[in-house]
Amino acid sequence: MDFKFTPEQEAFRKEVRAFLKSEVTDELVEEVNSGLGLGPAGWEYVRKLGKRGWLVPMIPKEYGGLGASFWERFILNEEIYYCFPEFIQYFGANIVAPIVMEIGTEEQKKEYIPRIARGEIEFALGYTEPQAGSDLASIDIRAVEQDDCYIVNGQKTYNTACHYAQYHWLNARTSTEGKKYKGLSFFIVPLDSPGITINPMWTMGGERTNEVFYDNVKVPKKNLVGQKNRGFYHMMDALDHERMFPITHIQRGLDDLIKYVKGTERNGKLLIEDPLIRQKLAQFAIDIEVGRGMGYRIVWLQDHSKPGGHETSILKVFVTELERRLTYTAVHIMGQQGALRYQSYCSSPIAGWLEHWFLADTRRTISAGSSEIQRNIIAQRGLGLPRS
Amino acid sequence: MEFNLSEEQEMLKKMARDFLTENCPKSLVREMEEDEKGHSVELWRKMAELGWMGLIIPEEYGGIEGSFLDLAVLLEEMGRAPLPGPFFSTVVLGELLLLEVGNKEQKQEYLTKAAQGQVILTLALNEAESDLDPDSMTTTAVAKGDEYIISGTKMFVPDAHVSDYIICAARTSEGVTLFLVDTKSSGIQCNLLQTTGGDKQCEVVFNEVKVPTKNILGEVNKGWSYIERWLPKAMVAKSVEILGGIQETLEMTADYAKDRMQFDQLIGSFQAIQHHCSNMMIDVNGSRFLAYRVAWMISEGIPCTKECYITKAWVSDASQRVVVLGTQVQGGTGIMKEGNMQFYFRRQRVAEVMLGSSDFCREKVAQEMHL
Ligand SMILES: Cc1cc2nc3c(=O)[nH]c(=O)nc-3n(C[C@H](O)[C@H](O)[C@H](O)COP(=O)(O)OP(=O)(O)OC[C@H]3O[C@@H](n4cnc5c(N)ncnc54)[C@H](O)[C@@H]3O)c2cc1C
Repeated sequence: MDFKFTPEQEAFRKEVRAFLKSEVTDELVEEVNSGLGLGPAGWEYVRKLGKRGWLVPMIPKEYGGLGASFWERFILNEEIYYCFPEFIQYFGANIVAPIVMEIGTEEQKKEYIPRIARGEIEFALGYTEPQAGSDLASIDIRAVEQDDCYIVNGQKTYNTACHYAQYHWLNARTSTEGKKYKGLSFFIVPLDSPGITINPMWTMGGERTNEVFYDNVKVPKKNLVGQKNRGFYHMMDALDHERMFPITHIQRGLDDLIKYVKGTERNGKLLIEDPLIRQKLAQFAIDIEVGRGMGYRIVWLQDHSKPGGHETSILKVFVTELERRLTYTAVHIMGQQGALRYQSYCSSPIAGWLEHWFLADTRRTISAGSSEIQRNIIAQRGLGLPRS
Repeated sequence: MEFNLSEEQEMLKKMARDFLTENCPKSLVREMEEDEKGHSVELWRKMAELGWMGLIIPEEYGGIEGSFLDLAVLLEEMGRAPLPGPFFSTVVLGELLLLEVGNKEQKQEYLTKAAQGQVILTLALNEAESDLDPDSMTTTAVAKGDEYIISGTKMFVPDAHVSDYIICAARTSEGVTLFLVDTKSSGIQCNLLQTTGGDKQCEVVFNEVKVPTKNILGEVNKGWSYIERWLPKAMVAKSVEILGGIQETLEMTADYAKDRMQFDQLIGSFQAIQHHCSNMMIDVNGSRFLAYRVAWMISEGIPCTKECYITKAWVSDASQRVVVLGTQVQGGTGIMKEGNMQFYFRRQRVAEVMLGSSDFCREKVAQEMHL
């Protein structure tokens, strides 16, 4: 066993940290926290990451990456998440690029990956439909072959990023025969294709997501990714990438909470002196170490080209539930101030964003596969317990 | 023992449910979150006609002279709606405290109007760094002739911006004194705060506000002893209001689980979901039979300070668990702004720290246990 990063990796981390220190402005953080996804500041920052090859470090150089390992990506994400606790995923870089690299045609790799790598384009994940939430095999948006195209009709829901991404990472039904999960396929669809309508949906935390309608949308056959009718399996692999994140955003939340309790008096005493609060803060330091180990474990699996499988689910449940616990504990410790919205001028900046984060992260234990679904996976795939 | 409400209370409950279903639809709740006033004057008038603001006021001041338990029944329905506006402020923060401490003339003057819904009342107790604590209070009141001059900043004052009178707790020579302050007095400034729950709270700045001596409630310097008598009851009132919200959350969530299909089954057939719903019910029932038992004790005049603290401690925590599970079971639907679950999720957040968080209450319970 060896739990060290190499000297090169440590140096890489330093380099990333220095970059972020100069690039992550208040304006950028505010834009990210707006719940609207990438805006002008966000795109500029993403392009700067791209310039260094940092969006997709694990992709070979010829496609715009660094030809580095998953460790470099993880180090990058660790540093980035510390700066943006209410993280936005770069779906293109973190999910689409590695999958296309694995299953795409040479033409597709050349067409999309370098542009993802440069930070020019973003993708929106197109899985969920009204009747297909946890049960993704029930996806029903239809893609029917016609000449050199597929004609797509149907509806998606909760497709975040559709309003600023250029492409839809669309999972659609290409066969109605046999088992449901054996009739799905992946497509890359330009979101400005005629026949696509995008309507906003809002979470209680002010985050925008979308419902998307396809009305006779023509998608060229060359945009089918991977094997036809194997889209369900590809989607499961893509979800493994989505369920993979570091724990440094929680560390950041804890650090800010500590700043708050050190600087705030209630009833004549600094909050940091309250033994109850000290216990709670210490518990987070403990939990974060646990999550760190789980995260490193998944990177190690990826690095050895082994499937994350149920271990990714363990990480996903643990980190998202810890995040919920942290943000709730934060607003709870803040007392009545913790129930003030961030716009309230009297709310301190730290208190304000923790409250904002508390509402925004209600979705984490639901999206990218709910905690219940992750626990089913752990029990059934991890422990071999029977399906009910 | 009798677990059923009386016939009159059942009628009150039914009337409240029907009335609020019709007059306080979710569209109104939504609208009032954005509205600066935060309540509908029209609805306020109708509630006044039903006599609700006079429910706990003695007949001699034009009220119905109902019991605390009657109030609990009504508050539960209001929590369920959930009713926006200054009812809780006027009745629990205002009337209940005035009943405790006001003299005959004060009651005659203010309770009579409040009973008719003619005035809105609230209470300015806390400050930015002072939460239910007399010692750290910094707002002062200094005697000058037959007046007092109040200076300082109060925080988290519900509905102050629409109130006619604010009961303000201020530091005097040797303790805390309660003053009934006319909000039209010069030197008062209300700044509206935005809350997680979309309810209305204010920062209230008192800049040398003059208050006549006759507006002192009770005795000078004894203010905190009145607050200590009133607070446990107010906590129970808040708890039953929260109970209404989590009862609705439970029912809404169970209905959802019986309707939503995934994997060709109702999600309610998954044991994970059944256990979530069961856990919610354990917390809701626990809250109900605790809060109503204590509300009954208050009504009967049975000493129950400790039980009141126990109630708010438990209900604050239990309600948090219930709304989290409610959102979880309803999946994406549960957290969208368009839906109804989110109202209860956000309101619970505010209510659990109002009038004492569970941490505060547990400390009080410990004190009552002479630990
Ligand atoms: C803010 C937000 C952003 C999102 N972004 C995207 C996106 O970009 N792209 C995209 O495709 N999707 C996105 N989603 C959708 C998300 O992935 C789904 O919400 C999620 O998969 C759950 O589906 P559902 O909401 O339909 O809930 P349901 O599947 O209806 O689940 C309801 C409840 O039933 C439980 N349940 C379901 N099946 C089982 C079972 N077998 N055993 C036990 N319990 C079960 C669930 O855990 C949950 O508690 C987003 C969702 C949100 C809220």
